[in-house]
Amino acid sequence: MNTQLLTTRPEVRRSSRGSVNPFKGQHRRRLLRADLLTVLFWASLAGAIALWLADGGASGFSTPAGSFTALGIVAGLAGMDLVLLMLLLAARLPFIDGAVGHDRALEFHRKLGKPALYLLLAHGILIAIGYGMAEGLDPVTEAVNLWVQVPDMWLAYISMVLFIAVVVTSLVAVRRRFPYEFWYAVHLLTYAAVLTSIPHQFSVGGLFAPGTWQRWYWLAACIGTGAALLHNRVLEPIVATTRHKLSVSRVVQVAPGVVSIEMTGRHLDELTGAGGRFFIWRFLAPGMWWHPHPFSLSAEPLQLGPSGSLRITVRNLGKGSSQLARLKRGTKVAIEGPYGLFSTAARSRNHVVMIGAGIGITPIRALLESTPFNPGDATVILRGRSEKELYLGKEIMDLCQRRGATLYHLTGRRPAGVETWLPADATRSGYRLGSYAPNIAEADVYVCGPAAWAQNVLKDARAAGVREEQLHYERFDW
Amino acid sequence: MRIRAAVSATLASAGILLVGWQSGSHVTEAAGSSIGTSAGTTGTTGSTGASAATGSGSGSSSGTSTSGAASGSGATGSTGSTETTTSAAGAGNGSGTFAGSVSQTRFGNVQVQITVSGGKITDVTALQLTDEDRRSVAISNRAAPLLRSEVLQAQSANVQTIGGATVTSDAYLSSLQAALDAANL
Amino acid sequence: MQPISELGGSALKARTFGSMGTVISLTVPAGAAVADHELDAAVAAVERVFARLDESFSLYRPDSEASRLARGELSLREASAGMRDRYADAVGWRLMTEGAFSPERPDGVLDLSGLIKGYAIAKAGETLQSQGITDWCLNAGGDVLVMGSPVPGSGASWAAGVVDPQDRTALLSAFELGGPADLKTGTRRALATSGSAERGDHIWTAGAGGAEFTQVSVAAADIVTADVLATAIVAGGTAMLHRATDGWEIDVLAVRRDGELLATPGFRA
Repeated sequence: MNTQLLTTRPEVRRSSRGSVNPFKGQHRRRLLRADLLTVLFWASLAGAIALWLADGGASGFSTPAGSFTALGIVAGLAGMDLVLLMLLLAARLPFIDGAVGHDRALEFHRKLGKPALYLLLAHGILIAIGYGMAEGLDPVTEAVNLWVQVPDMWLAYISMVLFIAVVVTSLVAVRRRFPYEFWYAVHLLTYAAVLTSIPHQFSVGGLFAPGTWQRWYWLAACIGTGAALLHNRVLEPIVATTRHKLSVSRVVQVAPGVVSIEMTGRHLDELTGAGGRFFIWRFLAPGMWWHPHPFSLSAEPLQLGPSGSLRITVRNLGKGSSQLARLKRGTKVAIEGPYGLFSTAARSRNHVVMIGAGIGITPIRALLESTPFNPGDATVILRGRSEKELYLGKEIMDLCQRRGATLYHLTGRRPAGVETWLPADATRSGYRLGSYAPNIAEADVYVCGPAAWAQNVLKDARAAGVREEQLHYERFDW
Repeated sequence: MRIRAAVSATLASAGILLVGWQSGSHVTEAAGSSIGTSAGTTGTTGSTGASAATGSGSGSSSGTSTSGAASGSGATGSTGSTETTTSAAGAGNGSGTFAGSVSQTRFGNVQVQITVSGGKITDVTALQLTDEDRRSVAISNRAAPLLRSEVLQAQSANVQTIGGATVTSDAYLSSLQAALDAANL
Repeated sequence: MQPISELGGSALKARTFGSMGTVISLTVPAGAAVADHELDAAVAAVERVFARLDESFSLYRPDSEASRLARGELSLREASAGMRDRYADAVGWRLMTEGAFSPERPDGVLDLSGLIKGYAIAKAGETLQSQGITDWCLNAGGDVLVMGSPVPGSGASWAAGVVDPQDRTALLSAFELGGPADLKTGTRRALATSGSAERGDHIWTAGAGGAEFTQVSVAAADIVTADVLATAIVAGGTAMLHRATDGWEIDVLAVRRDGELLATPGFRA
């Protein structure tokens, strides 16, 4: 029997309090912020084009050459706007992070990559055609002329090459599962690509000429984005690192290839509460310091007097992760975060269902410890190929008993040829997600595990009547 | 919620583009005239921001209300304001609903409620406006044309104070009131 | 009305101070009713009323509450109760004057200065009453509020002259303020004058053709009503003049651009 049912029955079921939903306000505010972000996204694109319209740009369509140039300018404006938005999405701004979550912001960031590149390519090609037609030259000659004769244009060409390199390698890296390290190094080139593209925007073409208000708008957009990146990705981490002074206190083997890293530090109580549970860790040891590791907490930070402790649980994923098992006691740790929405901040309902698989169980462990619910209102489902893969299973069972949550262990291989997140025997018996959590339609559903598995859970949840806004999913890759 | 986002985003973007287009066409029309250009572009800066704000600013809701104490004005007045209730409601920055004083006019009591959003008045509603007597008001107090000799006459020596269009402190020294004050200081 | 010349120059005493960009004078009968030190204390109290309101409502002070509100640093919800009440009052007046009086400048900035001087005079009047002073005349830059009589106990009215906008050294007319209550019309204790000539930027005219009236004086029971309606009539022209005289217990003397006068019976000789 591979499927176990471990139910910790609550003694008293207080369902009368279910009518009061303390998460309603935070949920509504979060949706409003998400909508506001959507509006701001489109407004910024419209704004970029309006800059050009307000300059009388539309009159360019009166001639064929002018039409190419005009389209080229619009493509360039929209493309650069998308690039700035991509940078902002990756800047871990608290406003974005708290509204849609770190992982969804990055998902959107990825989606914008190709459109941005296409727009920038179109910008270059259309301008070359348009300028060429105006001067009676073919586009290639014109492109060479621009390179040679117009100041700052050689930088723009370099920028274009870098943009192509970044987007292509990102797409390939994701598909071929290049190491995280490679992908990370390539992404640093993005900054070079953006910076080399900026000079020609202000020096070539009249739209951003000195004295125009458009110049100020564009400058503000560029500088604002740069400042946001610098603040959130450089200054904030330095502040957090020096304030919390984390160092490794213990590395415990939880299962083969899986270790829990315990750390001590200061002011860790500031990291508790409803905020995100996802941090980027750098272990300041020789050969490791440059490598950022994205992991979620597997236990709530605990602050006792001046010193506190917290824990992450890591499985050997790549070259970088394997070094973590050999971390020495006392190794200093730099952190960025907390990020993400896989936390109480995303709650919208009284009931909660938490589903984790493999190493994805560990964030569920921390969530179960802290998120508020009445006894009987929570369901925890742990999934692994075998009982050994249910990491931290004992701790989670203790927490479920203490807090009055219903716990299921689902183990065994999935059936061949069937798209499901359940083990084979459960599938044969016709179990669905709703079988384990009957009131799932009225619950927040937290899912953490491998991408393909998680998609099947989400599909099952939607089929059980769970709305998109109740689904909280943490991607367990970068 | 997705619909709300889509509609707001569409409206905001369309608004911004329209404003851009509008000011752009000014530029085109006034090609060669530098005055027109600068006017057109200036207009856009403000309007662009406004459109974006409109699109996003949905979702204020009512909240609690508090009532403040009244401050009555002078005792003998027949028109003086009698009570002030201030009720503040709403969520979000700069928004709220406020009720003004009840004012007695010849055609009844008037009290208004204003709704403020982002520091700007967005709505004004009359809470009480008894208008029924308006027609029956005897129009005996109308201002009628009259000659200068027909108006109540006065010499500055015969008055204790001088009313006039707002006197600045600069203009005060040369005013009749200054002479009166000087005589009585 | 008792001829003032018979009262003699020494019958009154006055104190002046500057505030809100103008000069405010307080005049009381010179008799024993108000000792000098009492008058000084009263003036100090009145000065505090003006200073406090000026501090929060003036737009020419960058650190005032009104300025912070205008710059959007402060939302009306966070503003003081006094600010919100005046704002509500101002908008109420806008509704009642059908837009002729507005608390907003054409650029949308909230400007309560059209209301706040009148409000300050009214508040100062309350302060004087609370100090037990029964006969006084308060003049703030040409807007007047009185109580009692220049000759205590006589029942005589205070006589307020109205400056001639065409010759500012001469009086156009006079109006009796205070005195015994008139059951039919109530007592006019306040006289406010608004002009398009001086500080015209304080009054925003609806039409582009300029103001119809160069000067409008309104006498009413309270100074805020007088002040607001005078402002509104300058801005709203003849239509607003008739709305005002139909709607409120007031007397009006309006001077047209060509010098022609329009007056309610109270201003008629």
